[in-house]
Amino acid sequence: MKSIFAVVYREYLLRITSLTWLFFDLFMPLIYLLIFGIGFDRALADGIMMEGQLIPYNEFFLGGILAMTSFGIGMNTSYGFFMDRDNGIFYEQLTYPMTRGEFLLGKVLFNCFISTVAAVIALGLGSWLLGITILFVYLPVVFIGIIVGTAGWFFFLMIFALRIRRNDMYNTIINLLYFIMLFASSLFYPLDLLPSWLRTTALLNPVTWQADFLRYFTIGIGDLSQVLVQSLYFIGFLAVSFYVGIVTIRKIS
Amino acid sequence: MMKNSQAIYVEDLTKIYTPRRKPPVHAVNGISFTVECGTIFGLLGPNGAGKSTTIKVLTTLTPPTSGKAYVNGFNCIEQPLETRKSLAVVLQQNAFEQFMSVLNNLRTYAQFHHIPRKEANKRITAVLDQFGLYDDRHTHAIDLSGGMRRRLQVAKAFLSGKPVIFLDEATTGLDPINRRTTLQAIQQQASQGTTIILTTHVLDEAEELCDRLVIINEGNIIAEGDVPAIKRLGTPAYSMQLTFKTTGNELREYLKQLNPLHFKFNNTLIDITLQRTHQEILKIIQELNRSYGLVHFEVHSADLEDVFIDLLSQTSEERA
Repeated sequence: MKSIFAVVYREYLLRITSLTWLFFDLFMPLIYLLIFGIGFDRALADGIMMEGQLIPYNEFFLGGILAMTSFGIGMNTSYGFFMDRDNGIFYEQLTYPMTRGEFLLGKVLFNCFISTVAAVIALGLGSWLLGITILFVYLPVVFIGIIVGTAGWFFFLMIFALRIRRNDMYNTIINLLYFIMLFASSLFYPLDLLPSWLRTTALLNPVTWQADFLRYFTIGIGDLSQVLVQSLYFIGFLAVSFYVGIVTIRKIS
Repeated sequence: MMKNSQAIYVEDLTKIYTPRRKPPVHAVNGISFTVECGTIFGLLGPNGAGKSTTIKVLTTLTPPTSGKAYVNGFNCIEQPLETRKSLAVVLQQNAFEQFMSVLNNLRTYAQFHHIPRKEANKRITAVLDQFGLYDDRHTHAIDLSGGMRRRLQVAKAFLSGKPVIFLDEATTGLDPINRRTTLQAIQQQASQGTTIILTTHVLDEAEELCDRLVIINEGNIIAEGDVPAIKRLGTPAYSMQLTFKTTGNELREYLKQLNPLHFKFNNTLIDITLQRTHQEILKIIQELNRSYGLVHFEVHSADLEDVFIDLLSQTSEERA
């Protein structure tokens, strides 16, 4: 427990030395919702059709924004991993009196805490400023979705940070991943009208699984049976990412 | 079998790296050595000799291919967590929290090593003073000079209070004054019962600090013992400073035909290192006195560096 707390304390100290980083982690989802969301809400004034219902774009986008929170925090932590490895502190940390599991658990816990706070800000201010009706009864499920999602993205993106040695290559791959995974998903638009190749790609994308889950439990739109199947896929994705992450840590050390 | 008095026990340790699409690299080839508790032990060798790999195995950073490795009685392979609880390490590369202050670097390190807050504060103040970092305690580590960063790393290791400390090239990049401070700190730490395993390229540092040494080359131990014992293993060599009334070509030719390891001619003053027994050296001095008018001479036995180079060249020749 002491070791896990030490990792959390270290992450906390790192975040408070960079308010930009902290601001990005906590407020970026809300800013996205306020700028991108409002812009598209006005552009698509009639709303968008989903499951036979017309819904305002802002409402549709909220679930996506929450998924983006998990992904963005996972990405930032992945960059932190890359930097730690680059400057050697990562290897020193592996000689500290803690297990590899405690090390990763401490990092995941801190990330989950940050993503939960960011989600509270986005949900609270989003519903207040944009008048989005949220199914408050499902909020605990939403937070579970955010926590599991953050853990999944943390382990997945960590693998790239630990395997790639070159800074330029790491940046290129992470930016490509960000672009492809967020845009080839149901995060920004419904999949029904997409060409079949893009729709199939999006359905195989874990961002879609998480975004659909969060959308269903925040505004009640979606197919519950499909959402439950996607949740199982995401848990599988988390398990595989965790396993590969652990193997990678052992391999690179 | 490991004894209670031993802090490190290594038996037949082998590490083979198998990079993809490249032939396997035998970093360490079945080495064995022990380190007594409370001593300073030197792991010497040229670049790529296997020193850092040995340290990586002992600090649980990498598993060995075969062999046994124990730290403070704990098996590095089967009890990695217990092993890590017994040690602190200064790795070869710079390892610090760049964007944290010196103080927060030390605080997080203390947290990771489960040192209670009160005790941690006491130790932090002590190492800040000891390593001359007190005035910079609020400076971000990234803004420190290279030497101060290195001192911060060593300070962290000494803060831990662990029974075994590994220092991999710990004094690299330090100026002479800070190097001296760090060496004194190492000696002081050892005098309090800490076992220190030191790898260094600065051989006079090893000569000054180490109770025992192991010289590794190409993954094999080529010499082991205390400094005088290691020195005896090399072909005897002596460096001499000779002063003559006058010097000329004849003297120069005479000295050159002795095949010196080192030869510097400066008017009437000559620095020369010869690989000879002490009886032969005496004969040469008598000859110089008789034939060339030797005014003054000083003779020193070769230092560890000469022995080190000699031992490495001996093993290379044997292999060839």
